[in-house]
Amino acid sequence: MSETVLVAEELCVDRGDRRVLENVSFSVGRGDVFALLGGNGAGKSTALLTFLGFIHPSYGEAYVNGLSVKDRIREVREQTAYLPEATSLYTHLSARENLQYFLSLTGVTRSAQEIDQGLDDVSLAADVRDRRLSTYSKGMRQKVAIALAILRRTPVLLLDEPTSGLDPVAIDEFNSILGGLSQGGTTVFMVTHDVYGACQVAQRIGLLQHGRMVGLFEAGDGGQISAEAVHKTFAEQQSR
Amino acid sequence: MLSDLGRELRFAWREPVVRWTTLIAFGFTVFALTAGLLEVRNQEREIAGLAAATVEDQKLVLDGQPDPGSAAYYTFHLTYDPPSALAFAALGSRDELSWKHRLRMLAVEGQIYETDTDNSELSLIGQLDFAYLVSILLPLLVIGLLFDLEARERRESRYELVCATSAHGRGIFLVRALARCLILAAAIALPFLGFALYGGVSIGDSLLVLALASGHILFWLLVCRLVTVRNLEGATAALILLSLWFLLSVVVPVVGKTGVERMVAVPDGGHILLTQREKVNDAWDLPKSATMDPFLKTYPELTDYAEIKRQFEWKWYYAFQEMGDQTAAPLSTDLYEGMRARDGAMGWVALLSPPLMTHRVLTQMAQTDVDRHLRYVQCARDFHARLRHFFYPMLFGPKPFSKENMSELPQFEPCIDRES
Repeated sequence: MSETVLVAEELCVDRGDRRVLENVSFSVGRGDVFALLGGNGAGKSTALLTFLGFIHPSYGEAYVNGLSVKDRIREVREQTAYLPEATSLYTHLSARENLQYFLSLTGVTRSAQEIDQGLDDVSLAADVRDRRLSTYSKGMRQKVAIALAILRRTPVLLLDEPTSGLDPVAIDEFNSILGGLSQGGTTVFMVTHDVYGACQVAQRIGLLQHGRMVGLFEAGDGGQISAEAVHKTFAEQQSR
Repeated sequence: MLSDLGRELRFAWREPVVRWTTLIAFGFTVFALTAGLLEVRNQEREIAGLAAATVEDQKLVLDGQPDPGSAAYYTFHLTYDPPSALAFAALGSRDELSWKHRLRMLAVEGQIYETDTDNSELSLIGQLDFAYLVSILLPLLVIGLLFDLEARERRESRYELVCATSAHGRGIFLVRALARCLILAAAIALPFLGFALYGGVSIGDSLLVLALASGHILFWLLVCRLVTVRNLEGATAALILLSLWFLLSVVVPVVGKTGVERMVAVPDGGHILLTQREKVNDAWDLPKSATMDPFLKTYPELTDYAEIKRQFEWKWYYAFQEMGDQTAAPLSTDLYEGMRARDGAMGWVALLSPPLMTHRVLTQMAQTDVDRHLRYVQCARDFHARLRHFFYPMLFGPKPFSKENMSELPQFEPCIDRES
């Protein structure tokens, strides 16, 4: 594996008296796409939010580029772009305005041309870019959110169910964008239900069940992870 | 930080809730200021009209009077407290207590309380003026802008994105709250400055008023932040904030006022009026010495002129008027000391209620507070005393009743000028 960018080290997270993550460990190399799969309530989003400092582990630690999330959260967030599950950008603003606003939140300035390039990259039609997001479909909004993640140009991308609710064409487009980012050196950590989609883009897949890592799959050189193998393990774990 | 604030100001201005709240705040402010200004202009017109009518009336009345007693009896004098330049912003006691009187040389206490028999001197907040808007309504608008600031982002699954994206993390919401409050402050500040300029209020006083309003907004911003940082749902946060508003704006002032009124008893104006009138009425049936002996203890210099030879003499009449005042004086003193004590105690209560404190400070700045009213009443009393000192020498004899002497009839001048 290439240089390690994301590390989860024996993460344990408790919610009340319930343990939602139990000794979860994994690492993701630079330019790799790591997908964490699991059923509802498996702890996938909890694991992802731990890397953003929104959830504090009761044991173990998460690192981004060698920085402890617990101690250096500000620097960690500067290096991390996050795409939440139900992408809900500001519906009273247009795509361009949303991007300008969120980019300025990070302290980054991008020219109008750069913003248009970002929107070109996600194939958002030019004639809708100045329309309010309230008139957009979910897929179009997701494209804007992805454009935001691209335009931030951070070394790490954290995605929470990025293809949820997208149509097959939009999923293909998304996977293609993700592949491009990965090739450009961006490290991607995504949590998803979509076994087949994950197998298309991820070099490594972790399987989470009731807060425990129950399977870890890795693609061979240039190949893809077998969706059947992942699905089989997933189904076996579900039936236990 | 300033660029963040600028960005959030632009962002906030795009939000419909901010625009509507701003519009409402602006509309209420213009209404409150207009209502206040119209009321003050009415009062000024009334003073000017009454002053001119009083001068005319005095000319007519004095022309045909045969003696100083009749001249004193039939001549009315206007006393008044002119509104300060800032009074339009906080009508305060001018909405509840008398700021003008039509006096003549009869017993003064009764004349003062003829317009004040309801003893309404401690009514809390009067009509919708700028002070009411800033102290009572403005917190509601702040709550309306801030109760849902974070909860809405959570509800719309945007909270983590915003926090993770912002260089300030969760601190972005404080900047947002500041931006919204700045817009709200501008919505009240701009019309106020316009009216203040038109009304001739000094820049310093205008800025002090705005600083006070900003301080009150800041207080409610902090309250909102303290409540909303607890990850509450918007509705829960709103309920808590409205309860706090009700507690601080209504419960504390009302309970405080009730407690203060129980602790500090004051006679009412009607009681003073009756006491004074009964003394005056009784005097008609008593021997003249019952009036003149105590009167001469106050005015020993008039002893040589005090003999009452006829059944009715003006000097006896005015002497028993003054004796009526002396009888009512302890009650009157109790009332005014009580009003001062109640006002002072409400100042302590205001420490527990920022809305009440804001209202009190605004009325102090606008010189429409209880203290100003009490100073005016004393001013009216002092003028009445000048009338007595003017007429007594003519009534009792040493000074002749002549046109020349009557030309020196005292004319009322407000003791407290507009800018004092």
